[in-house]
Amino acid sequence: MDQNKIDGLDSIFYPKSVAVTGVTQTPGTVPYDIFYNILASGYKGVLYPVAPGKKSISAVKAYRYVSDIEADVDLAVIVFPAMVVEKALEMCGKKGVKAAIIISAGFREVGPEGIKREQRIKDICAEYNISLIGPNCLGVINTDPTSMLNASFARKMPSEDRIAFLSQSGALCTAVLDYARGKNIGFSKFVSFGNMAGVTEIDLLHYLHQDEKTDVILLYLEELRDGRGLMEAAKKITRGENAKPILAIKSGRTPQGADAASSHTGSLAGEDSICDAVFREAGIIRVNTLDAMFNAAILLAYQPMPAGNRVAIVTNAGGPGVMATDAAVSWNLDIARFEPKTTAKLQESLPAVANIKNPVDVIGDARSDRYEAALDAVIKDANVDQTLVILTPQSMTDIQEIARGIVKVQEKSNKPMACSFMGASDVQVGVDILERAHIPHYILPELACKAMANVQRICKWRQTDLTDFAPLPVDKAAAQAIIKDLPKGYLREDQALDVLKAYGLPVPEHKLCKNADEAVAFAEKIGYPAVLRVISPQIVHKFDVKGVALGLKNAEQLKKAYEDMVAHIGNVLPEAEITGMLVRGMIPAGHEVILGAKRDPVFGPTLMFGLGGLFVEVFKDVTFALAPIDEGAASRMVREIKAVSILQGARGTKAADMAGIEECLRRLGQMVSDLDRISELDINPLLVGPAEQGSAVADVRIRLDG
Amino acid sequence: MDKSEIQERVIKVVCQVLNTDKDMVEPSSNFVFDLGAESTQSVQLVAAFEEEFGIEMEGEAALSVQTVGEAADFVAKYVK
Repeated sequence: MDQNKIDGLDSIFYPKSVAVTGVTQTPGTVPYDIFYNILASGYKGVLYPVAPGKKSISAVKAYRYVSDIEADVDLAVIVFPAMVVEKALEMCGKKGVKAAIIISAGFREVGPEGIKREQRIKDICAEYNISLIGPNCLGVINTDPTSMLNASFARKMPSEDRIAFLSQSGALCTAVLDYARGKNIGFSKFVSFGNMAGVTEIDLLHYLHQDEKTDVILLYLEELRDGRGLMEAAKKITRGENAKPILAIKSGRTPQGADAASSHTGSLAGEDSICDAVFREAGIIRVNTLDAMFNAAILLAYQPMPAGNRVAIVTNAGGPGVMATDAAVSWNLDIARFEPKTTAKLQESLPAVANIKNPVDVIGDARSDRYEAALDAVIKDANVDQTLVILTPQSMTDIQEIARGIVKVQEKSNKPMACSFMGASDVQVGVDILERAHIPHYILPELACKAMANVQRICKWRQTDLTDFAPLPVDKAAAQAIIKDLPKGYLREDQALDVLKAYGLPVPEHKLCKNADEAVAFAEKIGYPAVLRVISPQIVHKFDVKGVALGLKNAEQLKKAYEDMVAHIGNVLPEAEITGMLVRGMIPAGHEVILGAKRDPVFGPTLMFGLGGLFVEVFKDVTFALAPIDEGAASRMVREIKAVSILQGARGTKAADMAGIEECLRRLGQMVSDLDRISELDINPLLVGPAEQGSAVADVRIRLDG
Repeated sequence: MDKSEIQERVIKVVCQVLNTDKDMVEPSSNFVFDLGAESTQSVQLVAAFEEEFGIEMEGEAALSVQTVGEAADFVAKYVK
């Protein structure tokens, strides 16, 4: 991130002076409330209301224009109606204001006029080097005691905390602030970035990466404008020495967009599926609800990172203990097996009827001493990476004391802990104690397990080896020469195979033959059995018109098949113009997988991989990545599908050539990145045998743009 | 009624409704940016112009007027 951007964002979060331009005297209106919130939040700088026609606002001297303020102004918060925002911003630019937050709506979101207005705003910012948040946003909050800025129309200033929240939706922000306050969660920085006419979510992520007050970043997005930029930024932020987790909700799924596409890849590669891939390859943990987001966030912000995925459960209720165990296992957490010394300690300190195995059941009548003893034992166990404490409120359960005991044990530990005091009313006194001590509490143990599982995803991501994309040797010029003068539309099968061949994909020897004699001559050359496939611009689905003949063992069979095919097609589809027949050898049987590519308007070239043939339609077991991909990404793609165990050799079958598939994906990724006329591509199926047999392209469709 | 009289009376109304000194108001003054009119005052201004000149203006078009000069021109369309 360049220094100019950092300075601009410093002026937004840590301004020495703020002018609110367009303030009114009417409480309950956005222009007044923003001014009042800055005043009341304990802002550490100097505040100027710019309110034409008013002498003062809330006893603070008002200015007619921002240019009337004698001193320098770092940040302008513009609350004027959209129609005069340009005038206000231009005046700020002339005054030398470094940054602006435009709260006002009425820009890109309202249609063509608004788009033009927003462009003029961008132009002014560029001319005067103004760092801009908004327009159409709730504002910005910084709880850092050195700033204490609530430049928003949220009702209350949140408490200081280690979590930053970035949102494209303004209205959601107020709900999030209220939700978080209800759970004793605060924020380090809180930004509603609205239309992103200036500062983008990527700029903010970079800034928060360096922000000493932020440990966890939460992001709410409705659209991805620069998926690749986000991926590159997040990769840097979520890994390395100063790694910070990013949890994101991406709403606005658009299946309609996917429906419009024609190929398998096109119909499956909707924006949302690709977004999943972008987030996965960037280390962003995608969640679908605010609950899931905050459940993981508090564990990340308040507790140390676990060394592994082994969890110990301590409970006073057998049923919830089992439910938690089920949930933990289903989310890929391991139930820790205690060391013998832990078991001995538990045996010593718990009643004979207690369950001293994991989940440890301290029994319904347990009081704080029993909880503390059990927790102290399991937390010190070398096989335990994290602990979940469950409580149900019986008549003798000393809820507050137990909560205090948990806090005491946790203070001495460097392993993460989560609690679930099940219920709502009686347990609240204990929950308050836990939350004040920053021990994450969940209303249900299953939610705690899900949060722990999301933390595990982050641990796993940090341990993943990332490699740089290294181009493979290919004949790009040959592929370009094939497609150079071709019109928009689908490539002929032989041409499509030749393009793949130029990029080193395993294509069987083939030839487009114009007559039966030529077909026989070629088959003699490559050897029998041979395959015959009709080539015609009017025939898309060859099998529907009996346009494929397999396993032709000799010249006689081949010749007959050729003539029969021409005759049959002449009868069933007389308008079909037969260009010729593609002759190739038989491909040995193998696993059918699909490799696809699509040029996405937002993300550019994307890749798809999944179980192929008929399965692709039925199971839709596919995964995506942005092209090109490196070795690691190819490996992750192949292992991402549910059916990977089939490829790995389920039930004693021979494993498929996984390395071969990965190489095909890398070559395909390179191809669609190089050849920007390719809009969609399906290799379906790629037949994959064991390593010694390798893979072969059985069918391919490539569509070119104009 | 000539244009200068209309403008004079428009400025008088603006000063009354927005509680502003006459010397702050010029034909180029923007009701919101220069004179600090709030949304409710925009409605009050339209009503006050109608009363001052005994006219009835098209509401939405009247509210889209941004400056004092534009207001005088707009009123002039309705004044005989």
